[in-house]
Amino acid sequence: MKATKLFGVAVALLLVGAACTPDKGVGAPSSTNPASSATAAASEPITIGLLTPLSPPGDPAAGQLIQRGAELGVVYVNTVMKGVLNGRQVQLAVEDDAGTPATGATGYRRLVTEKKAVAVTGQFHSSVNIAVNEVANEVGVPVISTQGSAADITAKHYPVAFRTHVIDPFRASSWLSWIQQKGYKKIALIAETSDYGIGLVNETKAQAAAGNMNLTFDIEQFDHASTDLTPQLLKAKAFGPDLVINIGVGAPADLMLDQANTIGLYPAVPMLISYDTPTRAQWFQLHPSDGVGVYFIAYFSPKQELSDAGQWLATAYQAKYNEPPIYGALNAFADVIVIAQAIQKAGNTDAKTLITTLEDPAGYKGWAAVPVTFPKDGAGAFYHTWIPPILILQYTQANQNWRDAKLDASFSKK
Amino acid sequence: MLLGVDLQLLSQYVIAGLMIGVLYALMALGVTFIYSVMKMINWSMGQFYMLGSFIQYLLVVRWLGPDLWFVALPITAACVFVIGAILQLVLIRPMFTGGVERRDEYATVITIALLLLLQSLATVLNGPDEHTPGSHLPNLTVGTLPVSGATLAASLGGIAALILFAVLLRRTWVGLALRAAAQSRIAVQTAGVDLMRLDMIAFGIGVALAAIAGALLAPVYLVYPTNGAVTTTKGFEIIIIGGLGSIPGALVGGLLLGLVEALGSVFIAPAYQNAYGFVLLIALLLIRPTGLFGERLRAA
Repeated sequence: MKATKLFGVAVALLLVGAACTPDKGVGAPSSTNPASSATAAASEPITIGLLTPLSPPGDPAAGQLIQRGAELGVVYVNTVMKGVLNGRQVQLAVEDDAGTPATGATGYRRLVTEKKAVAVTGQFHSSVNIAVNEVANEVGVPVISTQGSAADITAKHYPVAFRTHVIDPFRASSWLSWIQQKGYKKIALIAETSDYGIGLVNETKAQAAAGNMNLTFDIEQFDHASTDLTPQLLKAKAFGPDLVINIGVGAPADLMLDQANTIGLYPAVPMLISYDTPTRAQWFQLHPSDGVGVYFIAYFSPKQELSDAGQWLATAYQAKYNEPPIYGALNAFADVIVIAQAIQKAGNTDAKTLITTLEDPAGYKGWAAVPVTFPKDGAGAFYHTWIPPILILQYTQANQNWRDAKLDASFSKK
Repeated sequence: MLLGVDLQLLSQYVIAGLMIGVLYALMALGVTFIYSVMKMINWSMGQFYMLGSFIQYLLVVRWLGPDLWFVALPITAACVFVIGAILQLVLIRPMFTGGVERRDEYATVITIALLLLLQSLATVLNGPDEHTPGSHLPNLTVGTLPVSGATLAASLGGIAALILFAVLLRRTWVGLALRAAAQSRIAVQTAGVDLMRLDMIAFGIGVALAAIAGALLAPVYLVYPTNGAVTTTKGFEIIIIGGLGSIPGALVGGLLLGLVEALGSVFIAPAYQNAYGFVLLIALLLIRPTGLFGERLRAA
């Protein structure tokens, strides 16, 4: 009786566990007959790996947007591009990195060794991305970072490491330029103790010092798992800042805004959120009273010109999800179609050839009107990195669509 | 100024620390209460906190509205009590009725499995989004500290829940039986009390306490599938500080943890806020391994 009950429980848990596992390929139909000949192998679908946060402590909302974009990228390759290498279909193998470096590194290995992914994309958390790159540098299969911004992701000049996202030095230089435009002098940087948070704090301080900007900083840091940021905010308030920069990712970014509002720090002192989390649909559900007035970084404006592929995505995304795509989805879409174009150009899926081909200065079609290029002569973190523009937007009224938010400043990498 | 710290800032930290300490105590109380009666640790306590926050959110957003949050609170507690009682009946009771040899291992495995099950189910059903039930309570000032109405309500609600729990234990027959079971399960059974039923009630009450904490904090710390993780960490820190199975220990441990985190933040750095509790825990284990109120067990 006891054994029966235990067995029943175990089966139930296994079933639920299986249902919750995101490790499912999407795109091309699955093959029931493993390749047994060159002909069969040539018709097998090509797998692109997607490694992204789909559960906490990562930021699963970001991961979900990335997954949506990547899935539509596969549809684009298989329908509009008619596949690659004489019509071979492309499929996506998905792994959840949970925002955890160790899980990410394991996920990358699984994608490459078990799923036979020829390239991996989708990284959001810098810490995960850095850990994955270490493994990738041994294994040799390229990684295109979708939203990892820490300098170290590409600054180590690993041949396998590519990126299509803003990097810390550019993000820091952009908000420092904006700070100068606004005339702010005392800046409170409240950052999580991750590669992203620490990297941005260090970069901001270094650039401000190098540029003799005459700024004073108060640095407050917190663990990503923290829920009560009152101690950090009280110290920042006592500092008397002109501006608070919110360098939290996921729930901490939301909690910081609310708790700063409670203690009277914000909106008395303006707040800049370090990434585009306010563009998500639930922003004003979470912040009905304090969501207005906040400044935030974004990487895409509806007023920007899109490539034909970007326009295809905008239409397909709206049709499928009944909302316009935001940057995370656009970038993941672009990463998948860039990989597909590189495979097509290389003529095979060999990792070394693919890396060399991705470095082609002619570049590849992405979501923006300008081509995506990965300069191998880029200095420091600019190596193998394509950078979208940085926009600083501000909500000026409640329940405003982010597309209508005020464009306060924009910066492009020259 | 005290040791270079502004006294107003210090007083704000102390108030904030005590307020969060009350909620920490509530989070830990369920774990230690279940242990005291059933002699097992429920590792899935954080998931009942999460469940409480989700039920509160649904009740407030779908039916009652933010002004009737206090009506939703007992409903949430009752729902989680029932869920806990059913789970105890199905998953935990075989530990006592089936002649399981290694009860501790069984309890650990089954409650960790429950943790994963509830967390995965919440992720699948909810998706990755965060929610808030919202609050119409105005911001207030406690001493020198500006606090949100929802935070103050959570702290006061936490104190009320602790008082109700104490009344339940001290003034009711069930409370008497639960206290007796905490002292000696064999004696209670000998006296004719249905111990299996008592275990079910204890488990239900324990998880309902965590759910009340989740419901009270839903408008403050947001609602998402893993919001109970902090509860698990802090809860276990507190029960080790206070002494495993000691209800006064959970109360004192919660307040002490809140204060230590606050004072560490103001005198050292807020960046290590979560580490100060562990420093306290290690120091205490060196001096008093059984915790503040724990008692050394005598083995036969």
